[in-house]
Amino acid sequence: MTRALALLNDKRVRDVVYQAALLLGLAALTVFFVRNASENMVKAGIASGFDFLWRNSGIDVPFVLTGYTRSSTVLDLFWAGVANTMLVTVVAMVLATALGFLVGIARLSSHWLLSTIAGAYIEFVRNIPLLFFVLFWYFGVIAALPAPRDSVSVFGVAFLNNRGLTIPLPEAPATFRWAVAAILLSWIAQALVAAWARRRKERTGQDAPVLAIGLGLVVVLPVLAVTWASLATGWDVPVLRGFNYRGGFVIIPEFVALLAALVTYTAGFIAEIVRGGIQAVPRGQTEAAAALGLRPGRILRLVTIPQALRVMIPPMTNQYLNVLKNSSFGAAIAYPDVVSLFMGSALNNTGQAIEIIAMTLAVYLVIGLAVSAFMNWYNARIALVTR
Amino acid sequence: MSAASASLWRQRLFGTPATAVVTLLLAAAIAWLAIPIIRWALIDASWSGTTRADCAAGGACWVFVKARFGQFMYGLYPQGERWRADLAGILFALATAAIVLAPPRLRLKAVVAALVVLPPLGIWLLAGGFGLRPVETREWGGLMLTLFISVYASLIAIPLGILLALGRQSQLKVVRLVSVLFIEFWRGVPIIAVIFLASLLLPLILPGGVGIDRLARAVIGLGLVIAAYMAEAVRGGLQALPPGQREAATALGLTYWKATGLIILPQALRISLPAMTNEFIALVKNTTLVLVVSILDLLGIAQASLADPAWVGMNMEAYVFSGSIYWLICFALSRWSRHLELLGRRQHR
Repeated sequence: MTRALALLNDKRVRDVVYQAALLLGLAALTVFFVRNASENMVKAGIASGFDFLWRNSGIDVPFVLTGYTRSSTVLDLFWAGVANTMLVTVVAMVLATALGFLVGIARLSSHWLLSTIAGAYIEFVRNIPLLFFVLFWYFGVIAALPAPRDSVSVFGVAFLNNRGLTIPLPEAPATFRWAVAAILLSWIAQALVAAWARRRKERTGQDAPVLAIGLGLVVVLPVLAVTWASLATGWDVPVLRGFNYRGGFVIIPEFVALLAALVTYTAGFIAEIVRGGIQAVPRGQTEAAAALGLRPGRILRLVTIPQALRVMIPPMTNQYLNVLKNSSFGAAIAYPDVVSLFMGSALNNTGQAIEIIAMTLAVYLVIGLAVSAFMNWYNARIALVTR
Repeated sequence: MSAASASLWRQRLFGTPATAVVTLLLAAAIAWLAIPIIRWALIDASWSGTTRADCAAGGACWVFVKARFGQFMYGLYPQGERWRADLAGILFALATAAIVLAPPRLRLKAVVAALVVLPPLGIWLLAGGFGLRPVETREWGGLMLTLFISVYASLIAIPLGILLALGRQSQLKVVRLVSVLFIEFWRGVPIIAVIFLASLLLPLILPGGVGIDRLARAVIGLGLVIAAYMAEAVRGGLQALPPGQREAATALGLTYWKATGLIILPQALRISLPAMTNEFIALVKNTTLVLVVSILDLLGIAQASLADPAWVGMNMEAYVFSGSIYWLICFALSRWSRHLELLGRRQHR
């Protein structure tokens, strides 16, 4: 007895005991939950397992990017939802970054009125729930747009009304494949040129005209390629027939509302990150660069932004992950993302709660891990190198 | 305005030709946007009356907000019993004031007393029983429900978050691993999915026959997620403490829990308080998500009021009113958080 007590006074033994107790407790809790769940499922007549994925789904989806139709399987429905989640996430990330940078730089502007307006925008969006904006854009703004008959016309080819945004659709999408290939090739060429210029600068100290070549390869060539592709194919321009538009591609109002809410909301947070990042660069850096005779544009590009990026990357990663997770707010207005299609419709139809919840959460965990892995890689690449 | 400040403003807004052009463009944009909004919200708006017929066309109809004010605040809570919600709110406000204003010597006692007495008292006041008329959670709603969920979810999230943060810093590998997995899992999934998950899984994994209220499910789900975010906020405070603090406490012969409770946590929590307040703001905003399981908080009531045939087309009024309340709450909290941060920075020097 006394020997057992003496053993408990040994810190190493005690640590092992504590950890074993924690594991045992967790295991007992898990067994308790799993037993209850299986009993409750037997009572409700639900068979567990993933067989339901190959059943016919029978669910209509108003907005599909994949080949999904009503007669596809439940698994296809899952992928259709994942694709819709990815689409709105990626587009929102890009637009929110652009708007956020604009607002963040405006906030730092020496123009008093401009920086005050940017500050007011940031305080406005950051202190209101995102769901509020989603509902507001959907029921307040888009529902208030005119009926198709009185659509807002965008140069006579695209039409905005309360059923969404109708845009022209290319008749031969294959020509765009060539354009995409050309763009990818020019981006690879740009990477090669940049690497060559960096090596040459390290060897000889001479600057190559990287910016001009880069702009040509990254911007001008792609614009030319897309212009050529759009001229080479015919366009299915939407036409008003009866009460609605025929032809073209309809971007549903749910997408427009969710995207608008995600972009305007996230931009408020990104703007603060941009401001904080730029302010974190010591003034001495700018002053020293100016003393060396660098022009303001070069100071920004070569001194300020590279150092600000280092501060900005970790919180930006958080914001990108938030956009991914917040894209699920679409479920509140029935945007067909993975939560509303799979956790909503498919779960209602099949009742396989545990399997469906696990698959849906796995989507976010896997994409989230991929995004943070990429951002960590990028962060490591631009991290401070101390020699 | 003195002559000096007038010239300062002229310098600020019209100092150079470029500045002047930007000022004029922005002023035009503000006028274009703000004048119709001010006309709609104030000048052309209708303030008095009781029905839709009392509203003039073209302006905001605040009569609608007046008529539905009770629902915005209490949801479908029975009119005669609304004093109970008010009383619960007053008690929570008094307790918060008492904790903030109490002399430091008594603060811990005040916190413990409030934590032991208030939560069950609040639930009894709202839900009834033992002499009060029972009110089912289905009838709760509006701002009252938003505040209820925020407060009770943080009653779960704060202690659990502190434990998880300590677990993440622990030297015991298993404890650390379990805490990291828990935190990263909840931080990696969308809150809307967690609310669905809680409302579907909680009844499934509890023994048959144990019913669990759907509002309680949502509060538990939100509490678990916010706990993971709180844990990260507390971790910041723990990491800011020099390791010498714990080493000194251990050298004095304090056990782990004594050192944690008396030396580490009081200092760490004070550092993390601004970050924890920010998480609380996020919680207030995320409370709106209970809408997806048909629990009607303030935003839910605003949304539901749009379906009332007697008040068709009041979308803007409902959104402006509910949005302003959210904004006021979150703005006040964020200002308080910033105040705490400055205070902490000053004390640190």
